[in-house]
Amino acid sequence: LRTPTRQTKRVKVLDSIIEEMKKAKITPAPKTPKAPKTPKVSKTPKVPKTPTNSSASFRKKLMEGTITPSMQIRNVPVLNAATPLNMARTKLHVSYVPKALPCREKEFDDIISFVEGKLLDGCGGCIYISGVPGTGKTATVTEVIKNLQSKADDCEIPEFDYVSINGMRLSEPRQSYVEILKQLDGQIVVWEQAQKMLDNRFTKKQGKKKQKPVVLLVDELDILCTKRQDVVYNLLDWPTKATAQLIVLTIANTMDLPERLLMGRVTSRLGLTRLTFQAYTHKQLQEIVTKRLTGTNAFNPDAIQLAARKVASVSGDARRALDICRRAAEIAEADNNAELVSMGHVNEALNSMITQPKVRAIKVSSRLEQLILQSVVAEVERTGVDETTFADVYTMFLSVAGIDGFRKVSITIALAAVARLGACRLLLTEQKSVDLNQKLILNVSSDDIYYALRKD
Amino acid sequence: MDSSGFLKVKNDIKNKLLQQGPLEHCESERKQVFNLLQRTIEDGESNSALLIGPRGSGKTTLVNDALEELCSDKNFASKAVLVHLHGLIHTDDRLALIAATKQMNLDNAVDGKVFGSFAENLAFLLACLRTGNKKTSKSVLFIIEDFDLFCSHHNQTLLYNLFDISQSAQAPICVLGITCRLDVIELLEKRVKSRFSHRQYFLYAGGENAEVDGLNLRMEKIRNLLTINNNKSNIVNNWNKSVSKLCSDKKFRTLNQRLMDIDLNERTLKNVLLTLVSKLKEKSLELKIEDFETELNEFEADEVIEQLHDLSVLELCLLISMKHHIQIYDNQPMNFEMVYTRFVKFANASSHIQNVQRPVVMKAFEHIKHMELIQNITGGSGRLQKEYQMFKLLVTSDQIMESVKGWQGLPTEVSQWAISSLI
Repeated sequence: LRTPTRQTKRVKVLDSIIEEMKKAKITPAPKTPKAPKTPKVSKTPKVPKTPTNSSASFRKKLMEGTITPSMQIRNVPVLNAATPLNMARTKLHVSYVPKALPCREKEFDDIISFVEGKLLDGCGGCIYISGVPGTGKTATVTEVIKNLQSKADDCEIPEFDYVSINGMRLSEPRQSYVEILKQLDGQIVVWEQAQKMLDNRFTKKQGKKKQKPVVLLVDELDILCTKRQDVVYNLLDWPTKATAQLIVLTIANTMDLPERLLMGRVTSRLGLTRLTFQAYTHKQLQEIVTKRLTGTNAFNPDAIQLAARKVASVSGDARRALDICRRAAEIAEADNNAELVSMGHVNEALNSMITQPKVRAIKVSSRLEQLILQSVVAEVERTGVDETTFADVYTMFLSVAGIDGFRKVSITIALAAVARLGACRLLLTEQKSVDLNQKLILNVSSDDIYYALRKD
Repeated sequence: MDSSGFLKVKNDIKNKLLQQGPLEHCESERKQVFNLLQRTIEDGESNSALLIGPRGSGKTTLVNDALEELCSDKNFASKAVLVHLHGLIHTDDRLALIAATKQMNLDNAVDGKVFGSFAENLAFLLACLRTGNKKTSKSVLFIIEDFDLFCSHHNQTLLYNLFDISQSAQAPICVLGITCRLDVIELLEKRVKSRFSHRQYFLYAGGENAEVDGLNLRMEKIRNLLTINNNKSNIVNNWNKSVSKLCSDKKFRTLNQRLMDIDLNERTLKNVLLTLVSKLKEKSLELKIEDFETELNEFEADEVIEQLHDLSVLELCLLISMKHHIQIYDNQPMNFEMVYTRFVKFANASSHIQNVQRPVVMKAFEHIKHMELIQNITGGSGRLQKEYQMFKLLVTSDQIMESVKGWQGLPTEVSQWAISSLI
């Protein structure tokens, strides 16, 4: 019975001591809790310091702008094109953007009146531009901006800042904040900070001076859509604020992207100002190519028409038409230095660029591979199911080979042949298991195989 | 005949077989690729192209050959930068970007170390290429091997950017992709596909004339591969004579036809010839048709049957009972118990194998499993006991019969049981 009392006594004594100590400690100014010292990391202390030897200093220099991106320069500049065909080739390159875009006058007017109106009204807004690749979306918008900038120089409309980002040029959607800030202020910071700074700029009232309006072009919008869609939301939310005059032009391929991919609140902010770029018709394609070639008479007009009609029937992609014409010019150049690009040259270019290599590949493969393809076809026709297993195909192969008079090969050799066919994707094979039970699917139509292997 | 001379000749032939020979079957493709690269370098034109062909058809050789000729120009280094990327090494865009930055020797690469994060590197590379222009900046040649693997990268960011640069007024670049997949264009996303210029060059193993004149071309190839020209000693003359004699032989042609029927790839032929040359003895420096024939037979041999010869009789008996099972039940999966019951029936009736304990049979069964002659199909879940796990046989009945036939000293009972399934 004595022990507990003794213990309580002891505890009491201890308590009082602690109390006293506390009092004594409190009487001086309470110490701020010290943050645990971060151990100084001296990564490579012994390496002699060269100015760019550490990541930090490099980053600092890049952000300050001491390191500017540059390309190596060649000793002798490239000479200008001499022959007419050569000149035609240069003008037909997709990178050569003409002064005025033919066949996009209406869209041009739509966009310029939209942006101009917003600039003159002093308010922000959004527009969504869609269309399949190669229909001149980005080219038209950059054209509009160029036009507006020259107007702003003449003081017809208020001055504005132009920022353009491309979803595919960013490693992740949030990097768009960094890119926008870089183009606005020229400084590079991490994305969290960039977002804060942009938020401040667009949503808070700026004290003294009025900010210039900003025109923001967002290319490849669908890439910026993540699961949370925070980036798209921010980009489309800023224009709605009264404090910032932000005009956002968004470009993507699919017409129904806002409804299909974006959340309700984002779609609502995107608004209903939309513009669709139709695929080029063959007449328009012909006009585009002809306009580029003004001044050179290297092309037969019929040849251009042929290329235009072929491309328009497939995709209406202007890039494709230009590439085909350029290839035709190359072929003509190789062809005894012909002066004029004829229908024949365009036809050859079309054949080489819109090509189906599979029939040719079947024709030139070895006899064993051809027999295996034949037995896969036979097996598919026998069972009526597209998917077959190697064991079944091999049994079928034995009989097909017997009919053809081909000495049978072992399973090892047959498996190797199947692997070769799988590597060039004439057959779809299972990557995981390479044995009797692996599944095989034909990747060409059986008609192609019949056509390639028929004996004349 | 002295041994040093012999060794030298042998080495010469081996070296000739091992190094890449001159390109013969794809002159027109080589010219096209060469012109494409040259136009990029000389005229500052941006281009993109794909080189497609089955494995071993000389795609890399062709590009290297064209590049070698371009590099022999002494002003090459002042006009162009080469960037080699490989889909198996640069497994994501980050690694590929670091490699490209290094090889282009941009300002953020110091002594082969690249600074900055992936986003910074991408922005920097694009900014660099944007500052360049057609007239004054160096051309960049991107040679991308195993191009199809780059198509599986996230968003195809790198491909999009490379193709985009090749289609806009920036530094002149040429993107040359090398791949063995015929359907590689279908892997590209639609906007990447639109930016690709759709130039494709196809290479085939046999070349253009393979259908018409394949065998003669092949014989010519073998003659070229084996003949030694640089050295005119007695041994060499004898060797060359024996080679031309061999090539004109009718049987040799038939054997080669068979090899070509199986595989047109030149690499296979070289492998066969290399083993033959390595086996040459000093006494008879001559390739014999019989040797070639044995080599071919070995090449054609079934690996599984050879593997079966290493089994014990007990294991073979187990395989035979499995074979009976799949014959009766038409390839249905089975487990150890079923096989064991079938085996015990035979073992009781046979005079040779009678008192084999169950654990021993189990052990033999495990051994067969480890040799991957059977495959577990119940999935890796360890809940089922070993005896009841279902599996499939990975050997055909024909292969088992073949190995039973070729088995030295197999008890007659077993071979009879293999033929009939009565017991």
